[in-house]
Amino acid sequence: MTISPERRSEVTDLINAYALAIDDGELERWPGFFAADCVYKIVSKENFDSGLPLALLLCDSQGMLADRMEAFSKLNVFGPRSWRHMLGAVHATGSEDEISARTNFVIFETLAGKDTHILCAGEYRDVIVSEKDALKFRERLCVYDTTMIPNSIVRPI
Amino acid sequence: MSEASLTWPDGNDRVPYWIYTDQGNYERELEKIFYGPVWNYVGLECEIPNAGDFKRTQIGDQSIIVVRDQDGGVNALVNRCAHRGVKICEQDKGSFAEIMCPYHQWTYDLKGDLLGVPFNRGVKGKGGMPEDFSMAENGLDKLKVHVRNGGIFATMSDETPSFEEYMGQPILGYYDREFDGRTLKLLGHSRQRIGANWKLMLENIKDTHHASLLHVFFVTFGLFRVDNDSTVEMDDTGLHTALSSIRGKQELNDGTAQMRSFDSDLKLSDPNLLDVVREFPGDRTVVMQTIWPNVILQQQSNTLATRQIVPKGPNACELHWTFFGYEDDDEEMTARRLRQANLMGPSGLVSIDDGQILERTQEGILAHPDAEGVVELGGRDTDDTDHMVTEVALRAFYKGYRNVMGL
Ligand SMILES: [Fe+2]
Repeated sequence: MTISPERRSEVTDLINAYALAIDDGELERWPGFFAADCVYKIVSKENFDSGLPLALLLCDSQGMLADRMEAFSKLNVFGPRSWRHMLGAVHATGSEDEISARTNFVIFETLAGKDTHILCAGEYRDVIVSEKDALKFRERLCVYDTTMIPNSIVRPI
Repeated sequence: MSEASLTWPDGNDRVPYWIYTDQGNYERELEKIFYGPVWNYVGLECEIPNAGDFKRTQIGDQSIIVVRDQDGGVNALVNRCAHRGVKICEQDKGSFAEIMCPYHQWTYDLKGDLLGVPFNRGVKGKGGMPEDFSMAENGLDKLKVHVRNGGIFATMSDETPSFEEYMGQPILGYYDREFDGRTLKLLGHSRQRIGANWKLMLENIKDTHHASLLHVFFVTFGLFRVDNDSTVEMDDTGLHTALSSIRGKQELNDGTAQMRSFDSDLKLSDPNLLDVVREFPGDRTVVMQTIWPNVILQQQSNTLATRQIVPKGPNACELHWTFFGYEDDDEEMTARRLRQANLMGPSGLVSIDDGQILERTQEGILAHPDAEGVVELGGRDTDDTDHMVTEVALRAFYKGYRNVMGL
């Protein structure tokens, strides 16, 4: 099984566009990056490596993504900040219609009036499928290495 | 920062801010509280099910190894080699057959007793330890351990009362409600560092009415709200608290009408999140306990967790969350607990707000050690209540705190 160069570049575009949408604060676009049947999880490397099922954040339907998006943008209380996702090279395997991709990430967080710090570092483990001619995440597992989260993660990563 | 007066104002309805910011007070807290006659929470048995399994944790500033031995017993050992003080164990968890310090390979058994010292008898008749070197007196420092229905507690003091006496009623009863003797099933950990004094974290749970104001999510879906049927109960010292409540409806009433954050139109697109089933006797849907000095026991709907508070100097603390269920949970129940875990933790629909607000509290008081906080809601007394429109648990807490600290 191979993936065409065009497909590879579409996969990279999807992963970049996702990070930009979040850094730009366009959370309302977030659920649209996922397939109709989808799973999004933020999981610590500690739990992942030990086979423990707890996620820091778990959405297993489009509805749950929408509810989270609503909570992050309207319900939760937190101060102003900016985020920058730094992404590593995308390593894609699989077939033209179902791609597994692994991509390293670091997120820098800057709170008003404070030093920039690293919020978390880790790896996306994605399953990407073609749905109505567009690539979507069927699974996006964000495995973070950071042992101690500095306060809270107040947006999707 | 200006020098604080280090005196307490009259009464239990005012709290001076220097107790959250003063380095000297923090050091006295370590001695009098964490290293004193208390039962510190150190973990759950389901984290170390087999002989040799260990986890590393912390009591005050000290690193502690909690390990299960070959007899099935649980030991808590200070993570410091008796030889030259090396921190022996670096991993957060794992399994070992014996405990060996990498520096000079002193080895200890799983109870912390010294097993071997290399070159003990010397080499070619030269060197070695003196004849009268006592292996028995050079083990790892051991803490006294108490295990109750899956929860592990440890103390450094010989003066600590029995666990049952220490907890008192009604707290022990509430403890046994969540830790009812069934084997616990570990679901996972999460950890966060919060730039706020450790007591603010305990207070956050004792402060019942903030949930109706700060947490839109709780308020709107009635999970924990001042108009719910509720109780606030303390032990005799005032240091432990149990809050219990029965979930209310998403309706406009004289309570919700006063909550700016109440939204009668808010709907979940996927109501699965709040697919709550009753699993404990009685009709309480939430019981939150603060067990002095370092743990919050959470039962909110079907999400169960311990939140261990680790102080990090006066101005910060860590919160170590351990989520669990029971060994006899079916798949559906486990899935439900994992979904509801979205409410809590470092990205919790509810607890995000707390992490943020506690840090803002610390920032607000940092430069004002002699100013005071006001805790008069519900009166000035320290008696149990049958509602949560009150700061009584904070007053009782500081009555107990002043006793312990001699303030
Ligand atoms: Fe709260």
